[in-house]
Amino acid sequence: MRAFRQLFLAELRIFVRDKLTLFLAFLFPVMFILVFGFVMGGRGGAAWSANLGAVVAAGPDSKALNDVLSSTTSIRVSRFRDQASLEVVLAKRGVDLGLVWNGTTLLFLYDPSRVQENYAFEQVASGISTDFTLRRQGLAPLFSVEKVHVGKKAATNWFNVVVPGILAFTILSAGLFSVSGHLTAMKERKILDRLAVTPMPPTALLAAVVCVRLLSVYVGTLVTLFLSVAVFKLSFDINWPRYTIFVAASTVGMMGFGTLITLVVRRPSSAGNLSTILMLVMMFLSGVYFPIELLPSVLRAVSRVFPLTYMTEGMRYVTGVADMSALRFWVVTATFVAMAVVLFPLLARYVVSADRH
Amino acid sequence: MRGVLWIARAHIMTALREKGTLFWFIIFPVFLLVLLALMFGRIGNVGEMNFDLGLVNLDTASSTATVDFAAIVERAFEELGKRPALLKEPLFTLHRPSSGDDAEAFLKGEENMLRLGRRAAVVVIPKGFSEQVRAHAMPSSFSGSTATPASPAGETILVYYTKGSDASELASSIVEQVLARVNQEVLAQAGLFRSQETVPVETRFIGGKEIRYVDFLLPGVILMGFFTNGLFGVPGAILFSRDRRILKSYWVTPLSVGRYLAGFSLGHLALCLLQFILLALLGRFAFGARVSFAQPIPVLYLLLGALTFMAFGFLIAAVVRTANAGMALANLLNLPMMFLSGLFFQVGGLPSFLKVVVYANPVSYLAEGLRTSLGIGTGQFSETLTFAVPLAWIAVCVLIASRRLSWDVVR
Amino acid sequence: MRNAGEILMRVTGLVKRYGAVCAVDAISFVVPRASVFTILGPNGAGKTTTLEMLEGIREPDGGEIEVFGAKLKRVTRGVRERMGVLLQDGNFEPYLRVRETVALFASFFRRALPVDDVLSSLSLEDKKRAAVRTLSGGQRQRLAVAVALVNDPELIFLDEPTTGLDPQARRNMWSIVTDLKRRGKTIILTTHYMEEAEALSDHVCIMDQGRIIAEGSPRELASGLGQETIIEFVASRLRPADLEELGHCGKAARVDGERVTLNTDDLVRTMEALLAWSKERGIPLANMTVRQPNLEDVFLSLTGRRLRE
Repeated sequence: MRAFRQLFLAELRIFVRDKLTLFLAFLFPVMFILVFGFVMGGRGGAAWSANLGAVVAAGPDSKALNDVLSSTTSIRVSRFRDQASLEVVLAKRGVDLGLVWNGTTLLFLYDPSRVQENYAFEQVASGISTDFTLRRQGLAPLFSVEKVHVGKKAATNWFNVVVPGILAFTILSAGLFSVSGHLTAMKERKILDRLAVTPMPPTALLAAVVCVRLLSVYVGTLVTLFLSVAVFKLSFDINWPRYTIFVAASTVGMMGFGTLITLVVRRPSSAGNLSTILMLVMMFLSGVYFPIELLPSVLRAVSRVFPLTYMTEGMRYVTGVADMSALRFWVVTATFVAMAVVLFPLLARYVVSADRH
Repeated sequence: MRGVLWIARAHIMTALREKGTLFWFIIFPVFLLVLLALMFGRIGNVGEMNFDLGLVNLDTASSTATVDFAAIVERAFEELGKRPALLKEPLFTLHRPSSGDDAEAFLKGEENMLRLGRRAAVVVIPKGFSEQVRAHAMPSSFSGSTATPASPAGETILVYYTKGSDASELASSIVEQVLARVNQEVLAQAGLFRSQETVPVETRFIGGKEIRYVDFLLPGVILMGFFTNGLFGVPGAILFSRDRRILKSYWVTPLSVGRYLAGFSLGHLALCLLQFILLALLGRFAFGARVSFAQPIPVLYLLLGALTFMAFGFLIAAVVRTANAGMALANLLNLPMMFLSGLFFQVGGLPSFLKVVVYANPVSYLAEGLRTSLGIGTGQFSETLTFAVPLAWIAVCVLIASRRLSWDVVR
Repeated sequence: MRNAGEILMRVTGLVKRYGAVCAVDAISFVVPRASVFTILGPNGAGKTTTLEMLEGIREPDGGEIEVFGAKLKRVTRGVRERMGVLLQDGNFEPYLRVRETVALFASFFRRALPVDDVLSSLSLEDKKRAAVRTLSGGQRQRLAVAVALVNDPELIFLDEPTTGLDPQARRNMWSIVTDLKRRGKTIILTTHYMEEAEALSDHVCIMDQGRIIAEGSPRELASGLGQETIIEFVASRLRPADLEELGHCGKAARVDGERVTLNTDDLVRTMEALLAWSKERGIPLANMTVRQPNLEDVFLSLTGRRLRE
């Protein structure tokens, strides 16, 4: 027990003194949010509320068209004098799509370089043209459609939904790299070998590393949440007991996952590289920024295998952003813990095994 | 001169033989190309998306003599629940109550599923729907007026969705479109809608043609390859050589620092060329990219890009003390510079403090310059700017690096 | 034909300071052509610092260097073309092959020997295609020597050429050095191994704490201790009184753990006294050796410390 305490304090000191790691651990997620959130925020947030530039020629149907434009809720309309000036602004991304009515044809203009968003704008365009078609004939829809929001109150905007995903991602990276980075670096520098010849039980070192990592991850997520609330005015509805349990479980689970990688790929730098690629793939495919439903079926199937997918779901649940059945939550949590329990003995053996290259 | 060429050769051979470098400068960009092309290549296309949709028709009592509007609505969704082609998926996977189920109870269950994220949306056709629609349709059809009647509650189809969820928003938006088309069809059936008078709709892309995603992506991935090569490869190689005293072995010979740098740069550019060839071939033959780099201006941009990122790598090597610090700094700068640049994703709606980064970032200008010169879209920067900013960056980096870069191990 | 007595390098008052510490404290020496000039001293004596100043990769704080007959402010390219350097802590690109490495360095010089010849002269032909990172310590050192010789230099610097090598590899290196001298090369060598200095050198400079404390040929230096003979043996459990008695047997006595060293001018008398003492005290004289003084003894007598701590 004393060995553990000493090692824990030593590991903690190392962690705190390594300013670079500290910075990366806490500020990296925030930077992530900023970069990805704003860049890809255009995707989720703005795409469902498009800026439309309109050139409507005066004429018998222009009133109907203007009525359509003013009653379509998912657009913000700005008026232009002519098509040329509209195209200029469209190219500069001042508007998302353009509409030109010359009395006979309804022309929709798109910026071809916005390949990843145009499909959403096309939906909007389709809605407008259908609506206009009806109104031009003096018809009104026979029935109307009303959208009703069902879900957690906290999920009021897209950003709310993204932040738990980023938390999940930082837990993932901390867990993975604590093994495939930190421990393997210690191994490479023969620190582990030197410790191995002492009477200190390897489990004590492992426990110390795990505990420090748990602490840093937990604090890191709290910092991120705090910043999200303070800077971006987001609100969450956090279930603290489950939050703590889930963060702890997924951290150790990801350390277990990191062990798996390290055991498969022997060299430390290769393990680090493999972890990085996996993290990148998971980031794109786990529904953190980008809905899984929009992926081709092959990639969708792949995403179901990734731990990050479930970690994201869990984090969204414990921060009150989305819902999850209690059963599913506990199954996922238990799976992570199981991963850790199964793989940690292997990790302990790795810690003491002779360097084989 | 021979020394310069041999240094270049040494740089190239080391990069090719060292697994780590191989990973970063070949595997990583290839991988990103494949991933993004798969993800966004066919986005929004029929057969690629699939949503779990709950569909509950509460309007079960209807006589066969009159038009069953509820059934029409249901059929529209059924059509979309069918597989369009062999390897394609239907747009919706429908979840409907079986014929013995209590529809209300089923609806409660579906709402719950929506809450749990297992459904993208739930469509609810209320009780008395057909009746109300019939009643509504009759008066205005015979009066022929252009009045726009209000919409009483009975004829509102409810679409339950989850705000803030991308998938739910998209699914509900699509459902709205489907229902709008059903509206049209019903009106046509009722003889009210003159389908021959549909508004002709045209779709056009500014600049003339539509751009395929892979043509948009490929130049970006190539630039990204150069970028990571410069950001990670250059400081890594230099700092490693310096810290391991490999450079020291050179300085006791007639090889000057200048000649070493010339050789290093030549080797680096050769590696970039290798990257380019690999990615261009992959893009063309695996993903059908049609964009052609064999023109003077794009080549100029590629060269400028390679040089800019190499200079940036020298800057990093100059400001840090050890190889580890260099890699950490590179990691920190990697994401913002790569993504706050329009290289892969649009940077339209950014707050101003991030826009500053975009405008200062040489990657933004290079990406736009390259794409524009390849005929892939237009941009917001003038052509002069797309050359001037990277050149300015090169100048600044070279200036700082030549002053601060120490060629001896810091003692 | 160059005069064999010609001075290839003259160093006058060379100084290097690091803050308050004087790493090299105004040393002076001359190096004649076609000789092996050795700087012998313990770690930290300033040997490598001195050499690096002569090689032109460290800036002296004072003094003058004259090489190839010309005074130098800094080592020019022309000088470097005629020099070969084996660094104490130099390294090569780990992923390059042996032959590639030598060829790379060859390309830096205007004139260079055929790469394969250089490789075979150092018995590295078999390892031509081996990556540098797979080489053993001895092979790596031979590669470094190959690189140092690839331009057929007149003046060769070898900084601790055998440190870390096994005895066989060390012997190989010694024969390479003597062969180079035979071919008319001038070699400046640093080491902390006394046997190496004795075996290879024409002229030795003993350096300690930045100063040259003695110089001359190995024989001159050793004979500087006069007609001394050294007796060494192992004895345990000695009391201070014993040591004093032993001191009376000869000129001086010294104990290092269990090892006793006696200096004497009169071998026979000392041996008699020693044997008598041993018999009287009942302490056996184990592992006894009788030998001539070596450079280690010289160093010890000058500084009171051993060359190797």
